[in-house]
Amino acid sequence: MAEDLVLDTAIRNWVLVPLSVVMVLIGVLRYFVSKLMRSPQTLDAKIVREGQLIIRARNLRAAGGFIPVKSFRARRFYYTNEENGLLHVPKGQAQNPQAQMFSDPNMAMDMMKKNLSMIVPQSLTFAWVNFFFSGFVADLSGNKINLRISKLPFPLTPTFRSMLQNGIDLSTVDVSYVSSRSWYFLNLFGLRGLFTLILGEENAMDDTQRMMQMGGFGADPSKNLSAEKDGLDIFQHEWTISKMEKRAEDVLRKLVK
Amino acid sequence: MATAVEEAQLNQLEIQVDNGGGGAWEYLCLVRKLKARRSDKVLKHGLYILNNPRARSKLGEEEFTLYEQVAFAAMDCSRNDIAKDCIGALFKKFPGSIRVGRLEGMFYEAKGAWSEAEKVYTRLLADSPLDQVILKRKVAMAKAQGNSAAAAEYLNKYLETFMADHDAWRELAELYISIQMYKQAAFCYEELILCQPACPLYHLAYADVLYTMGGLENLQAAKKYYSSTINLTGGKNTRALYGICLCSVAINQLTKGRNKDEKDIFDLQSLAAEGLLRDYKERAPKKLSLVTTTLRNIKMVS
Repeated sequence: MAEDLVLDTAIRNWVLVPLSVVMVLIGVLRYFVSKLMRSPQTLDAKIVREGQLIIRARNLRAAGGFIPVKSFRARRFYYTNEENGLLHVPKGQAQNPQAQMFSDPNMAMDMMKKNLSMIVPQSLTFAWVNFFFSGFVADLSGNKINLRISKLPFPLTPTFRSMLQNGIDLSTVDVSYVSSRSWYFLNLFGLRGLFTLILGEENAMDDTQRMMQMGGFGADPSKNLSAEKDGLDIFQHEWTISKMEKRAEDVLRKLVK
Repeated sequence: MATAVEEAQLNQLEIQVDNGGGGAWEYLCLVRKLKARRSDKVLKHGLYILNNPRARSKLGEEEFTLYEQVAFAAMDCSRNDIAKDCIGALFKKFPGSIRVGRLEGMFYEAKGAWSEAEKVYTRLLADSPLDQVILKRKVAMAKAQGNSAAAAEYLNKYLETFMADHDAWRELAELYISIQMYKQAAFCYEELILCQPACPLYHLAYADVLYTMGGLENLQAAKKYYSSTINLTGGKNTRALYGICLCSVAINQLTKGRNKDEKDIFDLQSLAAEGLLRDYKERAPKKLSLVTTTLRNIKMVS
């Protein structure tokens, strides 16, 4: 393009700045709304129990040599016997987490609340940006560009076009011009640092993280249990304490001398 | 657990506050952070801030944390009137809160109104059946009433769910010892050893329980655990040394010298006795003759 598009300062004052400010305000608002909607974490007795059980079984495996063999065997039987051992998970009863999620309405409700606080304001702002800040005519040397655009103060390679000029289908426009829709997206993902400053470390605004969460949802607790059970089953008990008398003798001999 | 540095800092701050050097709020914060139990001081300085409208308004939201802290301290010093005021203020601000409910329950406990405290706790547990603090309060309440068996029962129920809570296991072990259920106590100590295998105190306590139960097998095991305590402490634990001596005597009595590897064992016990004598010579020379006669009586030294 031979001549630069000259931007009206009004575009800066009435589009770019308000858009950013509105994004920040919406972010803050969303944080408080999600804080209000968050239901208090109710612990499930079964889940707590399983977590604690795994710690205890792990301790037994790690330090089993420190207790007499009788006590060890009693504990192992308690954990791993096939009838009612604590670590024994009957076949077929192992629920997969997806099914569990659907069977537990609370969980689904929680997910929905989270999603509500994420998707609804986002789509609303998106619609708002599209509605108000497009359809504008930047009238410059006869060109009619159907979107409001603004310019970044540095040059960029053409690959950034899809990122920065979403909605403008003109290959002749220099890449450092940004369309309003793209400015919105830049703000959406780029303001996380600012939110951390405003709302503190643990704000609920981390969209990228939330998307990750939705991907790999939950690990199967029963798998942990049976892994721990196998570990205990093959554990060879060796009573380390039985050698202690000799060693204590050495210690004392050194001390007395 | 407070480290030595933190404790020194706390003591320094306490002296400063006591002498009117200011910093009362910082002191209270530090006490809270370190979970120190200096109720009299906390009560004095906390109350000073609460009674001083200007200092209080400076705290903002933290004011209610202070109310809670002072309430605990007041109950500890059995100033129930102050505790009542504090809890009243908290109730006004947070009606229906579990945390304030706990305080209320403890207030009744402090007054000795067991049935009312019980009622409060039951009500709170209906809402959140997995509240660890309340479940432990119930144990403490049974214990305070002198009903160790009931306390052990509550604690057992608690441990069914929170089975990795080693403080609870220790409490249970001590409860069982107090009602002379040594087998159960031994189980608890085994659990503690599994949890922290390098802690000599658990080995020692386990050995004590085994020795108390008696029987050749238990005595031999007890001796082994006393040995491991010596190992872990580098021979500095007097109780473990005595334990070795007593176990050896008891084993000798039971086996009447039929033991095959008598010589080995003899070495250990005479070394333990020697270690004891040395220890007393260094640290309590006045009692040396007493120990010598005692050991001579059980034929540990000639």
